[in-house]
Amino acid sequence: MLEINNLNVSYGKIQVIWNLSMEIKENEAVGIFGPNGAGKSTLINAIIGLINNKEGSIKFNEEEINGLETHQIIKKGVALVPQKRELFPIMTVKENLKLGAAYIPKARDEIEQNLEFVYNIFPILKEREKQLAGTMSGGQQRMLAVGRALMSSPKLLILDEPSVGLQPSLVTDLFKKLNEIKKEDVSILLAEQNVKQGLKVIDRGYVLENGKIELEDDAENLTKNEHIQKSYLGI
Amino acid sequence: MRKNLIILLLIVIALTLPLYTGVYILHIFSSILIFLALSLSWDMMLRTGQLSFGTAGFFGLGAYASVLIVVNMGFNPILSLLIGAIFSGFIAFILGFIVLRLREIYFAITTLALTHVFSVIIRNFSDFTGGASGKILASAIFEGDPVKIYYLVLIVAGLAIIISEVFKRSRIHYAINAIRNDETTAKSSGIDVFKYLLFVFVSTSALQGLVGAVYAHQYAFVNPESTFSLNFLLLPIAMALVGGIYSTNGPIIGALLLGLISEYLKLIMPYGHLIVYGLIIVFVVLFLPRGIYSTIHNKLLKSNIIGGDKNANTASK
Repeated sequence: MLEINNLNVSYGKIQVIWNLSMEIKENEAVGIFGPNGAGKSTLINAIIGLINNKEGSIKFNEEEINGLETHQIIKKGVALVPQKRELFPIMTVKENLKLGAAYIPKARDEIEQNLEFVYNIFPILKEREKQLAGTMSGGQQRMLAVGRALMSSPKLLILDEPSVGLQPSLVTDLFKKLNEIKKEDVSILLAEQNVKQGLKVIDRGYVLENGKIELEDDAENLTKNEHIQKSYLGI
Repeated sequence: MRKNLIILLLIVIALTLPLYTGVYILHIFSSILIFLALSLSWDMMLRTGQLSFGTAGFFGLGAYASVLIVVNMGFNPILSLLIGAIFSGFIAFILGFIVLRLREIYFAITTLALTHVFSVIIRNFSDFTGGASGKILASAIFEGDPVKIYYLVLIVAGLAIIISEVFKRSRIHYAINAIRNDETTAKSSGIDVFKYLLFVFVSTSALQGLVGAVYAHQYAFVNPESTFSLNFLLLPIAMALVGGIYSTNGPIIGALLLGLISEYLKLIMPYGHLIVYGLIIVFVVLFLPRGIYSTIHNKLLKSNIIGGDKNANTASK
C-alpha cells in the first residue's frame, strides 16, 4: 500500500531522515517509535507532502506520490491526524466531521456512510453532534480529530502522536478505537512516543532513532526486544 | 426575525435616501459606500490570514484602466467600469502566482510595494497615461448626476456585501478559515490552499478595481498622486478595525461610523478631524481590540447561546 525507498529528508542543510525504507501492507497497522527529535513527524510530513526537500521514492498504491502537493495526496486516500488537534472550536461536532469530507470529491459522495461509520466507532460524537467542538474535553476533541480524518474515506490513516496531552486512561480508550478502525479496511501508520500503548495497536513497528531505522519487527518481537524494553518500556 | 427587520429597514433607507436628502448628504454617503466596499474587500482577504496592503494599488489600476479606455479609445463609461474590475483581477491573477507564495509581513510589504510600482509605471508611460498630471474625462459618469452616481455606488457596495456573505456561507468560508488557523491542517483536509488564496486575491482585487473605476468616473479624473493615494488603503483598514474584522457587519459599521464622524468633524474644524479620527482608532484598538461589532456580537453570544465559551474567542481570533 505504502512503499518508501531510500528516502532522504532535510531542512535546509540539516539532514533529518537518512536513507529510510519502509512499507505498509494492506490492512496493516504499522508503528513508528522513537524519542523526541528522532524524525517521526518529519517522516510523516514528508509522506503527505508538507516537506518538499526530499529525495527517494514514496509510492502509494503503486503510484509515485513524492513531489505531489499535500491536497493531491490527501485526495488519493491518505488521511492525517495532525499532532496538534486542529478543529473548528466554534463549529459543532457534526459540522467539523462534514468538513473532513467537504474538500474531497470522492468523500463528498460518501458523506452519509462515513458519518455512520465514524458514529459507530465513536458513539460519543453522535451523542454530542450538536455541541460546539471547543466545549468538549481534550480526549473527545482528539477523537473528533480522528473522526474527521476518517470522513475523507481514507485507505491509510496517519496519526502523529495521538496520545500527546491525554491522560493514560484516555490514551487506552483512543487506542482501542484504533483497533476497531483497523478492522474496517483502513491501514494505519502510528507515530508514537508512548511505545507501551502503541504496541497494543500495531502489527509491526519500526524504531526510528536519529533519522535512521534502528529496528524493524512485528509487535510481539518488539515487546520482547531488549533495546525496546530498556529504552522505551523502562523494564 | 428582528435581525431581518433591521436589514430590511437599512435596505429601504439606502434605496430611498435620494428622496429626502440633498446633494451634500448623497455625496457623503457615496464616498462612505466607496470606502465601505474597499473595507470589505480588504477584510475578505484578511480572512485568509493574509494581510494585504495592496488595496490602493488595485483600486488605482481599476481606476486607470477604466478611465484610459474611455479617454483613449472612446469606450462606453459603464462598460469601462467592468473593464477596470477585470483588469485589476487579471493583474492580481498574474501577480498572485508570485506574491501568494509569501506569508505574513512579507506578503504585506510586497503588496504595499506593488502599489508603488503600479503608480511609478503609470507615471512613466506618459503617452498613454498622461504621466504625472494624469487624465481628465470629458465629463463625469451620468453627467455628474448625484442621484444616479449614488445608486451606482450603492450597487457596487451591495455587490461587495453580497460577495462577502457568499464567502461566509459557502465552502470557501471554511477553507479560508482553515487556512488562517493553520495551513498544515487545511492542507491535510485536502484543501488546495494556493487555489483558494488565488481565488480570494483575484476576486477582492477585481472588486477593488471596480470601486476604483467608479470613484474615478465620479470625479472624472485620474492622476498617480491621488488615484494611488494611501488613503484608499489606510481608511478601509481603519474602518474594518473599528467595526470589527472577519465579518461583513464589522466593516459596514466601521465605514458608516468613521465616515460620518470624519465628515462632521471636517465641518467643525478643517483638518483637525484627522487628529480626532486618529484618536478614535487608538481608542478602539486599545479598548475594543476586536472592533465594535465583534465586541457586541460576542457579548450577545456569551449571554444567550454558548454561555461563555472560552474557545469561541480563540477561534475567531
